[in-house]
Amino acid sequence: MRKKILGLLCFSLAWQALPAGAAGGLEGVSVSGFLTTGATYGDKQLLSNTEAVSQDGTIENTPGFSADSRLGLQISAKVNDEISITGQLLAKAREENSNVEADWAFINYRATEQISVRAGKIKFPTFLISDYYEVGYAYPWIRPPQEVYSSNPITTLNGVDLLARFRFGDLSLLVQPYYGVSRGAQALVPQEAVQAFPICYNAFTASFEPCQAGTVLYTDFTADALRGINVSLSSDIFTIRAGTLETKVNAPAFQVFQDTAKFSSVGLTMDWHNVVLYSEAFEREIEGRANAAFPNQKGSYTTLGYRIGKWLPHFTAARIKDNNNPTTPPDPGFPFVGTPLDQKSKTLGLRYEVGSGAALKFEVQEVTPKEGTRGLLISAPSAAPKDPDDSVMIYGLSLDVVF
Amino acid sequence: MKTLKQIWAALLLLVLCAGFVPAYAALAIIVHPNNNLSGITADEAADIYLAKAGVFTNGKRAIPVDQAANSPMRKKFYSSVIKKDDSTLKVYWSKLLFTGKANPPREIGDDAAVKNWVASNPDAIGYVDGKFVDSSVKVLLIIP
Repeated sequence: MRKKILGLLCFSLAWQALPAGAAGGLEGVSVSGFLTTGATYGDKQLLSNTEAVSQDGTIENTPGFSADSRLGLQISAKVNDEISITGQLLAKAREENSNVEADWAFINYRATEQISVRAGKIKFPTFLISDYYEVGYAYPWIRPPQEVYSSNPITTLNGVDLLARFRFGDLSLLVQPYYGVSRGAQALVPQEAVQAFPICYNAFTASFEPCQAGTVLYTDFTADALRGINVSLSSDIFTIRAGTLETKVNAPAFQVFQDTAKFSSVGLTMDWHNVVLYSEAFEREIEGRANAAFPNQKGSYTTLGYRIGKWLPHFTAARIKDNNNPTTPPDPGFPFVGTPLDQKSKTLGLRYEVGSGAALKFEVQEVTPKEGTRGLLISAPSAAPKDPDDSVMIYGLSLDVVF
Repeated sequence: MKTLKQIWAALLLLVLCAGFVPAYAALAIIVHPNNNLSGITADEAADIYLAKAGVFTNGKRAIPVDQAANSPMRKKFYSSVIKKDDSTLKVYWSKLLFTGKANPPREIGDDAAVKNWVASNPDAIGYVDGKFVDSSVKVLLIIP
């Protein structure tokens, strides 16, 4: 990770150190980036064989730096008045063994003043901030409420989208349909399903191990015919959006083939007289065998903050729960039934603007899974060996920068 | 005693000059002389600078350029025309830039550089200290 970040930084510095004459020869090329460096701590050990607290293992019962730290670098170049190309590279601390990946790589064709078509690798907007999820500086929290944002492991597609923008006085309407496929995405295997695997490949230790509770396991999957639409109406004060998407998922490890997954969501954000509000709700429906590992869920959150000069204290209440999930196995031979995740969380956060282009954030979060279940944690807190309590406290500190 | 008073007066004057003279310099929003617009409102200019509008009200493409980040005219333009503070703007642009939707205006340099740029680019719109204006550019709005 350190090497990757250093590499990206060197590249960025070298670029910026180019003499003005060289930059002049690259008229229309711009380089920008974002960086988040963060520390987390979960106050309870939930299983005897692991320090992991969150189900993806990045937040642990020891100070850790892998949950939120990442670096993104974007280069865009104007080919002519109508065509531009953009690439965004992302290096995440939570994926220590993977390479720097291209999160965005597309060509943009501006057909008219209102309409642009983009083709290539695109982050699509399942939710309000999905397409800038990695840009911590752009939102108040350290990480967007996981009760909503963890529910779709597919974040990018290879395909096309269309941005149609219309203005009505002070209001702007964005209509964004998209279509494509997703290859090589990885989904976190739910803890309930982990033990159904005889041998686990552990991405963190890069070895095969017996599958036991607490093993963090990802599975490769693909999504075909991924199609959706995002509609957003905004003014200087608010943005209201709604979106829906449908895709056919395949996961060889689960013998899942062409099962339908659907997401629908609505969201609102407002920034009015120092009052900051975010609120979103979603539903996920997944059919067939895929439902066993990725059951039907719904979730929502509301964040309310009040800006005082450079300070933004905020409070978030969030919930994820069952969405009428079927109670019988998808087929008799299948080893387990989907267990919907169910938890509530309350988060108190503080954002402080450090000059312009940098923000320091601090958060205290109380995560309370439904009694006896684990929610988005690695295991139920009430099963913790020493402290049988219903909730876990998660602390976070981060610095977000854009450049 | 009199000398001391004079020194105080001189100091006071210096402080006043340093503090207020740049703020009172008029800001001119300028375009290429071939642009057929006769004027622009502050709100229309703000829409162009925030990438909400890509064209002038006459339908012609508008390409805004900024002065360098620390220039006094840029401060004046953003406080009186755009009416957003630095952090709010950075967040605004982060959302557009990193989702590939729009790029912030290109930074050109100081008053003279912006005037020269606008004078040689038919689609350009810029802002300069009023005293830099000459016949090579057309003034659409003056902010006193």
